[in-house]
Amino acid sequence: MAIEYKKSLAVFDDFVGVEDAEALLEWFQKNPKGKVNFTTCTHIHASNLQVLMAVKPPVVAWSKDEDLQLWLEPLLR
Amino acid sequence: MNSLLEQFLSEARDFLQGIGEKLMQLESDPTSTPLMAELFRFVHTLKGNSGLFDFPEMTCVLHASEDLMDAVRNGRVNYSQTLADQLLEAMDFVGSLMDEIEITGKTGSNHFATSTELTKALRALLNAHNAVYVPVAIETYTEDGLAVKAISWSELPELDLPETVAMGLYRCSIDGETVFWLEYTPEPECFFKGEDPFFLARQIPDTAWRHVILNNTSSTLAEMDVFSSQLVFQLLTIAPAVELDDLFRYVPDQIHRVKIPALAFVKPNGRKDSQAIDDDFINNVLALLDKDEIETLIRTINTMLELSSPELWSSSVLRWALQLVDVEPENKSAQRTLLNTLRAQTPPDWSSSIMEMNEPRDMVTVMPSVSVNLSELSDTLLRDFNVVINTQREILSLGGTWSAGRLKSIAATLLGCYRAVQKLHEVESIESALQLALTKNSPEPLLDWLNNSSASTQELVFTAEEAPIIVSNLATQNEVKFGRRTEDAVITGAVAASKMLKVDQDKIDRLMNLIGEMVVAKNALPYLANRAETVFGVRDLAREIKAQYAVINRVAEEMQDTIMQVRMMPVSFIFQRFPRMVRDISRKLGKEVELVLEGEATEADKNIIEALSDPLIHIVRNSLDHGLEMPDVRLAVGKSVTGKLLIRASQESDRVLIEIIDDGKGIDPEIIKHKAYEKGLIDETTLERISDQDAVNLVFAAGFSTADVISDLSGRGVGMDVVRSAVEKVNGTVGIESEVGKGTRLYLSLPLSMAVTNVMIIQSNQQIFGVPMDIVVETVRVPHSHIQRIKQKQTTVLRGRIVPLLSLNDLLASNVEQLPNEDNEFATLILRVHGEHVGILVDEFRETVDIILKPMTGILGGLAGYSGAALLGDGSVLMVLNPRELI
Amino acid sequence: MAKTILLVDDSVTMLMSVKNNLEIAGFKVETAEDGVKALAKLTAGLKPDLIITDINMPNMGGIELIKKARVLPGFRFMPILTLTTEASQGKRDEGKAAGATGWLVKPVGGADLLKIIKQVLPGA
Repeated sequence: MAIEYKKSLAVFDDFVGVEDAEALLEWFQKNPKGKVNFTTCTHIHASNLQVLMAVKPPVVAWSKDEDLQLWLEPLLR
Repeated sequence: MNSLLEQFLSEARDFLQGIGEKLMQLESDPTSTPLMAELFRFVHTLKGNSGLFDFPEMTCVLHASEDLMDAVRNGRVNYSQTLADQLLEAMDFVGSLMDEIEITGKTGSNHFATSTELTKALRALLNAHNAVYVPVAIETYTEDGLAVKAISWSELPELDLPETVAMGLYRCSIDGETVFWLEYTPEPECFFKGEDPFFLARQIPDTAWRHVILNNTSSTLAEMDVFSSQLVFQLLTIAPAVELDDLFRYVPDQIHRVKIPALAFVKPNGRKDSQAIDDDFINNVLALLDKDEIETLIRTINTMLELSSPELWSSSVLRWALQLVDVEPENKSAQRTLLNTLRAQTPPDWSSSIMEMNEPRDMVTVMPSVSVNLSELSDTLLRDFNVVINTQREILSLGGTWSAGRLKSIAATLLGCYRAVQKLHEVESIESALQLALTKNSPEPLLDWLNNSSASTQELVFTAEEAPIIVSNLATQNEVKFGRRTEDAVITGAVAASKMLKVDQDKIDRLMNLIGEMVVAKNALPYLANRAETVFGVRDLAREIKAQYAVINRVAEEMQDTIMQVRMMPVSFIFQRFPRMVRDISRKLGKEVELVLEGEATEADKNIIEALSDPLIHIVRNSLDHGLEMPDVRLAVGKSVTGKLLIRASQESDRVLIEIIDDGKGIDPEIIKHKAYEKGLIDETTLERISDQDAVNLVFAAGFSTADVISDLSGRGVGMDVVRSAVEKVNGTVGIESEVGKGTRLYLSLPLSMAVTNVMIIQSNQQIFGVPMDIVVETVRVPHSHIQRIKQKQTTVLRGRIVPLLSLNDLLASNVEQLPNEDNEFATLILRVHGEHVGILVDEFRETVDIILKPMTGILGGLAGYSGAALLGDGSVLMVLNPRELI
Repeated sequence: MAKTILLVDDSVTMLMSVKNNLEIAGFKVETAEDGVKALAKLTAGLKPDLIITDINMPNMGGIELIKKARVLPGFRFMPILTLTTEASQGKRDEGKAAGATGWLVKPVGGADLLKIIKQVLPGA
């Protein structure tokens, strides 16, 4: 499982594939105040990126992958 | 040879075979789309495979063939006999290269000319039909979106660049780096093509700034279609254009790539406050600039910066001014433009300054290309072209060691130059020359090419606007391609599993030898049993050995049988070449022939099949050449214009029967008789008495050739006697039946397998010899008194027939009399040789045995009179006689 | 975890060469000789991370394979590369239109192959 959902936190791990976007969107619909954690995430498929950009959830922790953080930070901050 | 190469050769042979067959079939059905599709696939796959190896000549010819077949299957070129001929010739060439590869593991360097010639001929067919040949690399260039999607930097959206990033990029730009603005809009359905645009965007190297826009059309989250891409990626990067284009090669239509001129980054931003700077200051700094008092200017600006708030728009202008003075001190007009913006607090308008810089490359719009003669080109261009070419020539003339990379870089330069001037047809020959140079590890082929082609530079056609871009892009593309080649050096690995096994013939032969030894070893057991009983006197053990022998014998026989089965192959192996051969020959002779093949699935031992090949070819040539008549002759005698040639294989008990039947003019016994008489093959009495059938059989006599004119087809100095001896070598027989005016039937009868031979062992002059049982008619003992001498020859009368007698010792040139038995009778083998009975006197008969006959090799191989040798159960060697040769 | 690649080509030579290069690069490789066999493997439960297929094959070609694979459950987003020597852009475009992610041009050497696969297969 590339995204682990905990109460109001979605933890992104490793590589998050295209199919995960559907569940992610549903989760945000149920948890409008859901937060995200990217610490161990290395890549998210574009499908997830557009969900995140539409929702703009609070980010608890940025990715340790510097390049990913460079991309995500200006978009989700 | 590595296993991949072996696999390639084995598979390639199948493809060549298939190509030949399909071409034959197309001949009778020239519009068949499935046939053409399959033919194309064969050529296509073969070419693809050949590319895995470094066989430039082969790939070159196959490439041209592939293009031609592609044009044929798409209807751009019509199928014709000329085309088929050309393709067949090309495939023959490929086949010959493969033969060479099989033996030496590589292709020699002497095929360049043939390869070029064939390629040209194939291309000519393609062009003759107005099909436009566009070299691959050039085509990939036209995909390049540059010219098509040219937009000017000034049309770009306002970028919200942090000032530090902008300043960094500005500096990079001035330092000679090219900064690209890249906008990537993936198509909405791209996820369903396995794409991940974000992943692709993240792979863009040297990204200085990145941004993503979400064009979300849905108002609520629930309506959002997550699997439809709504993203737009925007980046600034200093990565080389080729790298970017390579990365986005699958989606070139989804990106905009624009080169940003340095000054475009000079965009001050910040809070605007008209009170921040007064006109005096502005006038002062502009004056300092005009007076070139740079140090004072810098000091003045710095002082002002210290006094102002850094977020002010004017502060940003001042910081930029310092940058400009530092980085581009000569560009006073830019500095002036920038400082002047302090008055109205409007962004600087760089459009005029940038236009002056004349940086057209990425703003090229498609213009009608103007073809001009090189002589009409500007002198500069002609000079540049020649300078580059001459430099390459000089480099090539240098001595020293030549690494592959050095050769490649020169070729890449040449390719670039010639492509740039649109001399595309040279591209292929440069590549060929390069491959040759690489093989030889010498610059000579390239140098030769240069020297030979330089004469033609005057007719170069040049498309002025596109030239610079082509050069830069293609040179790089080529390097990429070269890189690929070298990666392929070491490839080994397992073959995909399949139910059919292709086994190396050597392995089968080894298995065959082993089972042969097994049979021999097994045969030693009866000797052992015999010894146990007679020498050691243990009868029970002898019996047990014999019982065990029976078991081993059965297993060994089954094993042998199975291996025989493995060695069996269908006659189609040799039949398949006939359609092509008959077609070629009949066309050459101007005859019309319909070939019918029957019983292609009939199987025989591989050695038999192989031994059949040459005789059959000879017979078929003969039938075409001498048997079947010219169309007008046929018509005149009331036959159909098209002659019929039937080649039929069938199995008759343990023999294979091959018949070659034509409905030609047949063999006239009268002509044969007189020919034979003229050549001294028969005497006068025979001439008168000989039956028609016997006369026809004379065609097999040594030194007989019926051809009135020696044609280049069958008149190759070999006659039917060669056919006969070749067939007899594998224990076959050959016969002929013919009816004048109706046709001829030739038949070959061969054993299914030649592995096991039943021989009779005979003794003569204290040695033992084997005689093949299939020619032994009977064994008799001839009393000395029954032997008569007729004209120096011994004969005897056996069942009312005179049988000539020959002494084996005499035949083997040992000057010893044969030994009779106690009753003064001579052991005599009656053999059937060339259809006649002959008696061979020997000393004693022994048992008959099954042996594995091995042909003799080396010095012994040239020995006439022996068909081979075999090992006996007791380990001794048995020489097997070949009476046909002996007598 | 090693990524699995399904390699489809009617030429055993090509299968052997590309398979070997992929295996050297650490991929697990499944092979099929034509579209029919490839599809059979996919429907039988093989779930590769990437499919590389030749275009011109007997029985079922690459274009048809892509079209059929894309409608199978679980294959709609899978990266698929066509493997082709076609000089013309036509076949590649046809492949893309049928749902291919991109293409490889034969012959593909080890490093080149890996570079392209890394571009389309995140985490490879």
